[in-house]
Amino acid sequence: MGYDAMANNASVPAMSRDFGKKKKANRSAKLKQCKLDARREQWLSQVKNKSCLDGSTEASPTATISQPRMSLPRPDQGVLGIRPRNMNPQLEMEHDGLGLRDSGLDSPVQSPTPGRGEGDDKGGPDDWEAIADALSAAGNHTRITPDAEKITEDSMMNGVEDTRLVAGATKPDANQVTRRAWRPDDAARPHCLPNLSKQRSFPVNIERRFAASGWDPRTIISAPSSCPICVEDFDLTDSSFLPCYCGFRICLFCHKKISEEGDGRCPGCRKKYDRVACTEKIVIAAGLPLPFRFSRSCSMNART
Amino acid sequence: MQDNIAGGGVAAGGKQHQPISKGADYQSVMKRLQSELMALMMRGDPGVSAFPEGDNILCWKGTITGGKDTVYEGMIYKLSLSFSTEYPFKPPKVKFENTCFHPNVDLCGNICLDILQDKWSSAYDVRSILLSIQSLLGEPNNDSPLNSQAAALWANQEEFKKMVEKLYKPA
Repeated sequence: MGYDAMANNASVPAMSRDFGKKKKANRSAKLKQCKLDARREQWLSQVKNKSCLDGSTEASPTATISQPRMSLPRPDQGVLGIRPRNMNPQLEMEHDGLGLRDSGLDSPVQSPTPGRGEGDDKGGPDDWEAIADALSAAGNHTRITPDAEKITEDSMMNGVEDTRLVAGATKPDANQVTRRAWRPDDAARPHCLPNLSKQRSFPVNIERRFAASGWDPRTIISAPSSCPICVEDFDLTDSSFLPCYCGFRICLFCHKKISEEGDGRCPGCRKKYDRVACTEKIVIAAGLPLPFRFSRSCSMNART
Repeated sequence: MQDNIAGGGVAAGGKQHQPISKGADYQSVMKRLQSELMALMMRGDPGVSAFPEGDNILCWKGTITGGKDTVYEGMIYKLSLSFSTEYPFKPPKVKFENTCFHPNVDLCGNICLDILQDKWSSAYDVRSILLSIQSLLGEPNNDSPLNSQAAALWANQEEFKKMVEKLYKPA
């Protein structure tokens, strides 16, 4: 099993290179399976001290807790040749973890193959997946009590760090998905990443607009925004024009038309328009309290 | 009385026969009618509907269904609405397309309704016209009938309903 995993690790990049993007999903699944297998094998080797195959997953979590420390495997286990990383002391395991990264995660990016661009494409999702894994792992484990899994994850983190840098240089757009991976002061942070200040400026603008236009919402709601007769939008003069006591507002153009060509009656109440009253009301409208006028002018400013 | 209405119609027609000379007027009428059409479709009032006929937005076809608990219940009447470029300052011409036995509707489909004549207001729209006609069906003004036979028969609702159904032709 472990050997299979290794074989897969080694062969997958080459295979995916050959088969192109169609294999992307397959490859990531295989990689995941490899990781899982490797982890499981580690547990098994720690707990049972003998090589066994699948079917012992249920024993692993409790076993890991009961024997959190790495025990040096005995040479007679017979797995040393197959999975050397599990048999080595901690220091070497770190190295080995990096080795796993090299063979598995990074090969499409780092291998100097002719189809490099394609390899980068394929490497992308896996890398981000690995980042996600590493992030969740980093939240779960503490550095003070490292166990075997922790070491593996740690080494994966290291690998991820590397791939991130490479991928960040080659695939800048993919970084938006995992923006957490970048620190704001990171020197290698691509310039195309959204700037925090830039992001903040938009909502602030919106807020300012709302604050300006909605200063006194009642005036906005009570006053129609367009003439009910000609359906044209009210301009500043129209919206402060109160042609009739009944409160039925129309634009100056329609008022002129009704007064001069029509019957001169308010469409809302059918009362004759009183010219004197009209002009009075225009004066009144112009002399409204400051917030009323101000909110109007602000809304106009915001609109234009 | 019929003469009266006919005269009114001619007068309105006289004003209206001006060709669509003012482009600005046509544009503003078009804008208003498009807005009305949008509002009408968004509202989806039960029992009334209207839509421009063909490409000409100045000619609409409307339908109203007879109000519940009236002698016109279940009947569907078609109307034609023809707008001038002076709309909404002048009312549209509204006629029944299929025969409607009603005290205020003549045999040609002309309607005697004050809001379509001297009581018109530019604040009215297609929707208010159709709703007014719908309510006119159940509440006729028998004092100034266009169809005096219908006005005379209105008191006998059973007989009236028989006449309505006899003369009703789905358009």
